[in-house]
Amino acid sequence: MAGALALALCACVDKADLPRPMVQADPAAGLAVIEDVGCAACHKIPGVAWPEGRSGSNLAGFGARPLIAGRLPNQPDVLIRWLIDAPSMDPGTAMPPMPLTQDQARDVAAYLYTIDED
Amino acid sequence: MSSETGFDPELYKRFPTTEPRPEGELEQLEEVWCGPRRPWEWITAINNNYIGVYYVGAAMLFFVLAGVLALLMRTQLALPMTGFLAQETYNQIFTMHGTVMMFLFAVPAVEALGVLLLPQMLGARDLPFPRLSAYAFWAYLVGGLCFFASLFFGLAPNGGWYMYPPLTSMAYSPGINADFWLLGIGFIEISAIAGAIEIIVGVLKTRAPGMTLDKLPIFAWAMLIFACMIIIAFPSIILSTLLLELERALGWPFFDAAKGGDPMLWQHLFWFFGHPEVYIIFLPAAGAMSTLIPAVAQTKLVGYRLVVLAMLATGFISFGVWAHHMFTTGMPQISINYFSAASMAVSVPAGVQVFAWIATLAAGKMRFNTPGLFAVGGLVIFVMGGLTGVMVAMVPFDWQAHDSYFIVAHLHYVLIGGMVFPLFAAIYYWTPMSSSRPLSERWGKWIFWLMFVGHNVTFMPMHLTGLMGMPRRVYTYLPERGWDLPNMISTIGSFMFGLAVLLWVVDMIRNFRPFGNKDAGNVFGGPGLEWLPSGRYSLRSVPVIKSLYPVWDQPDLARDVEAGRYFLPGAPRGERETIVTSPLNAEPQYLLRMPRPSSWYVWAAIFTAGFFLILTIQAYLASVISGVLALYCILKWCWRLDRPHPQATVDIGGGVRVPTYVSGPSSHGWWAMVITLIVAGMVALMAGFSYIFLWSRRPDLWQAPPELSSLLLVIALMAAAGLLAWLSVKALALDRPRSGMIAAVLMLLASLAILGGWGVDFTAWWGTGLRPDVNSQGATVFGLLAWQGMFAGICGLMGLFALARWSFGLLSPQRPSTYQLIALFIGFSAAQGVYAAVLTYLFPGG
Amino acid sequence: MLDPAGPFAGPIQTVAWVLFVMAAVVMVVVLVALGVALFGPRKWKRRVGGERLIWIAGLAFPVVVLTGLLIYGLTTTARVADAPKAGEMRVRVTGEMWWWRVAYLDDQGREIVQDANEVHIPAGQPVVFELESADVIHSFWVPRLGGKTDMIPGRRNFMRLQADAPGTYGGQCAEYCGGPHALMGLVVVAHAPDDYAAWLERQSRPAAAVPSAQGPLALIDQGRNVFAASGCAACHTIRGTEANGLAGPDLTHVGSRQTLGAGILPNNQGTMAGWISDSQSLKPGNRMPSYAVLAGQDVRAVAAYLESLK
Repeated sequence: MAGALALALCACVDKADLPRPMVQADPAAGLAVIEDVGCAACHKIPGVAWPEGRSGSNLAGFGARPLIAGRLPNQPDVLIRWLIDAPSMDPGTAMPPMPLTQDQARDVAAYLYTIDED
Repeated sequence: MSSETGFDPELYKRFPTTEPRPEGELEQLEEVWCGPRRPWEWITAINNNYIGVYYVGAAMLFFVLAGVLALLMRTQLALPMTGFLAQETYNQIFTMHGTVMMFLFAVPAVEALGVLLLPQMLGARDLPFPRLSAYAFWAYLVGGLCFFASLFFGLAPNGGWYMYPPLTSMAYSPGINADFWLLGIGFIEISAIAGAIEIIVGVLKTRAPGMTLDKLPIFAWAMLIFACMIIIAFPSIILSTLLLELERALGWPFFDAAKGGDPMLWQHLFWFFGHPEVYIIFLPAAGAMSTLIPAVAQTKLVGYRLVVLAMLATGFISFGVWAHHMFTTGMPQISINYFSAASMAVSVPAGVQVFAWIATLAAGKMRFNTPGLFAVGGLVIFVMGGLTGVMVAMVPFDWQAHDSYFIVAHLHYVLIGGMVFPLFAAIYYWTPMSSSRPLSERWGKWIFWLMFVGHNVTFMPMHLTGLMGMPRRVYTYLPERGWDLPNMISTIGSFMFGLAVLLWVVDMIRNFRPFGNKDAGNVFGGPGLEWLPSGRYSLRSVPVIKSLYPVWDQPDLARDVEAGRYFLPGAPRGERETIVTSPLNAEPQYLLRMPRPSSWYVWAAIFTAGFFLILTIQAYLASVISGVLALYCILKWCWRLDRPHPQATVDIGGGVRVPTYVSGPSSHGWWAMVITLIVAGMVALMAGFSYIFLWSRRPDLWQAPPELSSLLLVIALMAAAGLLAWLSVKALALDRPRSGMIAAVLMLLASLAILGGWGVDFTAWWGTGLRPDVNSQGATVFGLLAWQGMFAGICGLMGLFALARWSFGLLSPQRPSTYQLIALFIGFSAAQGVYAAVLTYLFPGG
Repeated sequence: MLDPAGPFAGPIQTVAWVLFVMAAVVMVVVLVALGVALFGPRKWKRRVGGERLIWIAGLAFPVVVLTGLLIYGLTTTARVADAPKAGEMRVRVTGEMWWWRVAYLDDQGREIVQDANEVHIPAGQPVVFELESADVIHSFWVPRLGGKTDMIPGRRNFMRLQADAPGTYGGQCAEYCGGPHALMGLVVVAHAPDDYAAWLERQSRPAAAVPSAQGPLALIDQGRNVFAASGCAACHTIRGTEANGLAGPDLTHVGSRQTLGAGILPNNQGTMAGWISDSQSLKPGNRMPSYAVLAGQDVRAVAAYLESLK
C-alpha cells in the first residue's frame, strides 16, 4: 500500500492499472444503492439523473482518478472503507459515515470504478 | 312576409335589373376601394380584405410562438429531473404558453376569421367600423409582440395563465412579471371587445337585403353568439385584472385574506370569464365546421335550426358552469352538485352539433380533401375531449383528476379538436378566397395525418400520467414513479405535431398569395356568398338573398352580381359605402359611408399599447404621455365621425332610394354605444357581486356608511344629469336657431352634474374615515368609486367635446348622432352612479 | 388513483371505471355513425343522414346517459368534506412554500404535537385533515388515499382520508404554488393502531439525541453547538432546546422521518449534510439558504446531531 501511495503522490499512475476490476461485486446493484441512499445529494454522479449535488466532488471520471478526496490512494479497499466511514480516515471531511453494509459498499465502489473519464 | 321597417318587399322583385349599367361605374368602384399604393398605406389600410388577412396571420404567428414554447416544455419533461430549462424559465414558459394560446391566439384567431369572412359572407363591402377593426388589430399586434418579448428579458409572468392570487400578489410576486400579465391582458381585452362590437353590429346591420335571420350563414350565427358572449364574459376579466392591479400597485386588499379579502373572489371572477372563454373559442370554430362540412359533403347542413339552437344553448349554459374549475376548493356541497349538473348539461348542445355534422356527411358524399380531413379529425378528437369533460364533471372523479395531467389531456383534446383542427380546416377551405393559389392538397394530407397522429401520441398518454398522480404545472418530476415512459412518448408526439405545423408554414410561404385582384375561386364548391366573384370592394353588386345557400340555389347569381344587376352596383357618391339593413329581416335602411384609410387609428393603437406596456415598467411620465397621445389620436379620429352627406337620399339600384344619414336606434353608432354600455354595466354588476361576496366573508370588518343625506344628494345630482342630457337631445331636435348652443350647454351641465355627484359620494365616504387600503370594504367601495370616477371623467371630456363640435359648427339638428350617443353615455353613467351609491349605502347598511 | 388503498379512494376508482366504460360506449356510437356516414352503403347512410339522428343520438341519448351519470355521481359523492365530528382523529396540515406543516390535534382541536412533511395516521380508520395555507394556495393530494383538496389562505377545508393497511403513501402538492412547486412532496405513513399510539407518544416527547456508531456523542454535541451558533434556530424549532424558530419545519424528531426536503430525498446523514451545505442545488428556490460556509466537519456534525433526533 505504501508503494501505491508513493505512486499516487507522484501522480504517475499507469493507466494500465485502470479500471480496477472487483471480484464479487455488482456495479448495477451499486447504482441502485447509490440511488437509495442519495449519494447524489452531494455528488454529481454519471448515470444518476438526479439529484446533482454540488457540495461534494463531481465523480465524473472517478475510475481514472489517482486519489480519493484529494489525499487517499484510490484503491478498492481504501474506497470501501471511505464509503462506510470517511471521517475515520479524514476527520476534516464533510462526508458523514454512510449507512452501508460491507457488501453494499463493495457494490458502490464497483460502480464508481466503472465511471471513466468520458 | 311582414315588413320590419316599412320597406316594401315587393321592391326586391325589381332585381336583378335589366337595364345596362353606366360606363365607368366599375372603374370608379375599383378606384374608391383601391388597395395600398405606397408602403405606408399597407399599414393604414382598413379594408377587411387586408386587416382580416393581417389579423389571421398575426394570430397564427402567436400560435407558432406558443407552440415553440410547448416544444421547449416537452423537451424539459421528456426525462425526469433534467436541467434543459431552469425552474424559473419553465414557470414563465408554461404561463406564457397558456396565456398566449388563450389570449393572443385563440380569441384573436376566431375574431380575425370573422373580420376576414363576415363581410364576404354577408354581402357587405366591409364591416361597419373598419377603423375600429384596424385599431383592435394594431393594438393587439404591437401589444402582443411586446408582451411576448418579456420572455426574452426574464420578465414574463410566472403565476400561471389563470394568475391565482395570493401567488400573484405583491407579497409573493414582487417583480413586474405579474404586472406584465395584468396590463398586457388589458389591451387584449380592449381589442377583443372592440372586435366583438364590430361583429355584432356587422352581423345584425350589414347583411345583404333579404338575408333574414333564418337565411343567416351558420358561421355568422356562431360569430354573433361568440361576440355576445365576449360582451358578457370579458367584463369579468376586465374587473378582475383591475382589482388585482389595484391590490398590487396600491395595496387595496381585494384578495388578501388578512384584510378581509378573499383569494376565492379571483377564482369566481376569473372562471366566470374563463369557462365561457372556452366556448367563446369553440363556437366560431364549430360555426366554421357547420359551414364547410356541407361544402365537403356537397349537401345542405342537416338540422340548421337545431344547430343554431344548440349554439345559443351553449352560450347560455356556459355562463353557469364556471365553478367546475373549483370542485376542490371546499365549496358547499349544494353548489358543487349544481355546477356538476350544469357542466354535464353543456355537453348536450355539443352532441347535437356533432351529430348534425355526422348526419350531413351521411346525407351527402364526403370528399376526402384537406378541409374535410381536418373537419372529421377535429370531430373525433373533440368528441374524446368532450367525453373526458363529462368524466371530470363527475365530482368524485374530478377530485382525483383535477390539476393533474388528466386535465392537461382533456383540455388539449377539447381545444385542439374543437378549435385548432376546425381552424386548419377553415384555413384550407377559405384560402382560395383570399389567395390567388390554394394550398397544396398533397402537403395538406401529410400535414393532417402528422398532426392527427402527433396530437394523439402527445396527449393520449397524458390521461394515464395524470391518473398515475402527476400534477400539472411541474417543471420536472422525480424518477421512479413510472411517469418516465408516458412523458417520453408525449414528447415524441409533440414534435410530430410541431413538424406538421412547420410543414404548414412552409406551404403557406409557397402558396399563400393574398391581396391580388384575382383569387383562386370556389375550389371546394362552397355555397356561400363569399364564393361569388369579387374584388377589393367585395361584390360588384349586393344580391337579394332568397336562400341559405345562395350560390347553390340561386342560378345565374354570379353572373348577375358581376354585371351589377343588384343593389349598390357602384359607388354612387364616390365614397366607400355599404348598405345598412334591419336586424331581423335585413331590409335596406340607409347607406353607410365608410372611412378611407388614415393614420390616426394606427397611432391610437400604438399609443394605447404603449400606455399599458410603459405603465408596466413603471415609467409613469412616459406612460401618461403615451396615454394622452392615444386619447388625442382617438379624439382626432372621432372628430371625423358623424358626417352627413348633402344628398339626403340616394338610389342604391333599381330605383330604391334610402337615406344617407340616420340617427337613433336604427343607426349603427347607436347599436355600438349600447353594446359598449352593456360591457360597462357588466363590469359594474360584477363589481357589485364582488362587494357582496367580500362582505359575506368578513362582515365583522365592515363599518357604517355615511349619512343618508349624502346618498340623496348623489341620487339627485345623477337624476339631474340624466334629465339634462335628455333635454339636450330634445332641445337639439327642436331645430330652432339657438338649439345647438342650448343643447351643447345642457350637455356640458349634465356632465358636470355627473362629476358633482361623484364628488359628493367620494367626499362622504372619505369623511367616514374609510380608507381603500385598510380592509375589503374600503377596497371595494373605493374601487366602485374609482370606476364611476373614470366614467365621470369621460363624461366631462364628452361634454367639452360636444361644446367644441358646436363651436366648430359641426352640430346641427340634422346630425344629432353624436349628441344622442353622448346623452346615452351620460344617462348610463348617472344610472351606474345611483346603483353604486345605493348598493354601498344601503347594503349592508349601518 | 389507479391503485386505491382506502375507502375514500376506492369508490372513486369505481366511478372512474363506470365513466371509462360510458366514454368507450359513446365513442363507439360516434365512430360507428361516422363510419356509416363516410363509408356506409347508401341504404344505411340514408338512415343516418337526417335530423332524426340529431334528435336520437345527439339529444336523447346524451340526455339519458348524462342523467344516469348525474344521479350516480350525486349519490356517490362521498361526504368527505364535512367538519369533524366528535371522536374523529384530526390532523391539521398547513401548506407552506414549499413544504407541509403538520399538527396533530386533540378532540378539541388543540395542537398536541407538530411535525413536518410526513403525516402519520392509524390504518383502518378515517382521519379528518384540516387543510390550511400559510401563504399561497396549495392543494393536498395523496392519490392512493383519495381526492385532493385545496389549501386556501383565510379558509379551512376538511377532507377525510383512510388507509386500509399500514404502509407508506406518497403525495404531492397539486396546485401550482410558484418556484419549486414540482418538488413539494409529502409522505403519509399508516401504522397499525397500536404502533400509531406509540409513535405519537414518542413524537410528543422533547428532542433527545440518540448516539450511534455513526453519530458518537462528541460529534452530536459539536453539531448541537454549530446548530446554535449558525443561526439555524431562527427558523427551526427543536423542542427541548432553545431553538424555537417558526418559519421552517419542526426538527424535533427529524431523524425519524423517511424523507428530506419535502418528500424528495432519502433521509440519512449523507443527504442531510448535502441538504445543509447546498439545499439550493437540490431544490432550487426553496427558502433555506445553502450553508456552504460551514467547515466540512461542522456540516457532518450538524447532520449527525439532526439524524440522532429520532
